[in-house]
Amino acid sequence: MEHYLILARSITYAQRMQRALERSGIRCQIFRASRDLTDLGCAYVLRLTVEDLPEALKIIHQRGLGPVQIFLYQRGVYREVTP
Amino acid sequence: MIYLDSAATTFQKPPAVAAAMGRALDTMSSPGRGGHPAAMLAADTAFACRSELAELFGLKNPENVVFTLNATHALNLAIKTLVPLGGRAVISGYEHNAVTRPLRALEAQISVAESPLFSAADAVRAFAENITPETHAVICTHVSNVFGFILPVEEIAALCRRRGVPLVIDASQAAGVLPLDIGALGAAFAAMPGHKGLYGPQGTGVLLCGEGGPPVRTLLEGGTGSVSLQQEMPEFLPDRLEAGTHNMPGIAGLLEGIRYVREQGMEAICRRERELTLLLAEGLRTVSGLRVHALPGLRQQTGVLSVVPEKGDVERLGQQLAERGIAVRTGLHCAPLAHRSAGTLETGTVRLSVSAFNTRREIYETLAVFQELMA
Repeated sequence: MEHYLILARSITYAQRMQRALERSGIRCQIFRASRDLTDLGCAYVLRLTVEDLPEALKIIHQRGLGPVQIFLYQRGVYREVTP
Repeated sequence: MIYLDSAATTFQKPPAVAAAMGRALDTMSSPGRGGHPAAMLAADTAFACRSELAELFGLKNPENVVFTLNATHALNLAIKTLVPLGGRAVISGYEHNAVTRPLRALEAQISVAESPLFSAADAVRAFAENITPETHAVICTHVSNVFGFILPVEEIAALCRRRGVPLVIDASQAAGVLPLDIGALGAAFAAMPGHKGLYGPQGTGVLLCGEGGPPVRTLLEGGTGSVSLQQEMPEFLPDRLEAGTHNMPGIAGLLEGIRYVREQGMEAICRRERELTLLLAEGLRTVSGLRVHALPGLRQQTGVLSVVPEKGDVERLGQQLAERGIAVRTGLHCAPLAHRSAGTLETGTVRLSVSAFNTRREIYETLAVFQELMA
């Protein structure tokens, strides 16, 4: 199923984004980032539905939490996308 | 035991604190160290604790809340970030060794803003006179750990903002008792223990980092569960300052302690502690041979009270009190500078300090023991 991942530099940063989105009614889950998503080592991602991404990005930027790296999962692979 | 040593550590805690610590041992690993439930539960608990602290102390961003071992650790981080080797610092005349020893280690030039005990106006004047364009940092305790003297941190913060000098607030005795808004004060850092007025367990402390402050110098380097391929410590908080595995039982306990403070209300806790301390001070004034360091009505003072026997030794009096089941602190309380300022350096003091859990009955019993011992 298609979805987006937003890369977070740390677990705390991921939680901060998650709480901001949840307060606006956007549900998302935190996972460990797979190794191929980051060249800096351990990180976390927020998983979002395709429909929620535009509003989520608006909230993230409004709260000063951006810029962020975004990946789209499609046909079994992740690729970085620019919103 | 009647415990009157809460300025060192609050001994009685809300029952939820120990329960949360036990649950943490049973269910949590460490934040940022995995995606499994034990790691994620730890992460949720740590984040909840950061968020409560950020809200309580006027920080917008929970990432600026750093867990430390204690207030001393937090003060070392703040001071060693702001004051370079041989740099200049201005401090109040009531600072703890947790401030003066790191400055000594930095071979800093220390200007003491000397002021009489309980005089807020003189303290502000002294800071104004001592801060110069060369000052790297002002470090001020919010409340003296020896005398309960409330330093006017709002006015001192305003002075620092006007002069463009970063301010570090040692909130060790104030956190959980007096309101403190780091954002509004524009302070660079505030340091506090978790185990005093926040009712957390020993081994917990917090460094609050002001928004937009300087990059914080690390005291420890190591694993953070983030940017692992990079060999330098992360630039971002809190990871930059939290190398190694977290004290999750401590943080879980601290979270419950903070929730207790917020439920009770800091104002209510402060009012109650001051009522008890006033009762104690007024009662001790009637005991012959005892010098009580308090202004009438306990002006400019929290729930910390120092007394000195006119004859005899403070340590002996402390021992006699301990033998009768009353726990107090005696000596210099790791704050020789405060004693120098108040004129008690030669004798030290007997310090009595209350918490939200003390009762009027305990105060009356303590007064009766003092009457007996000093007769």
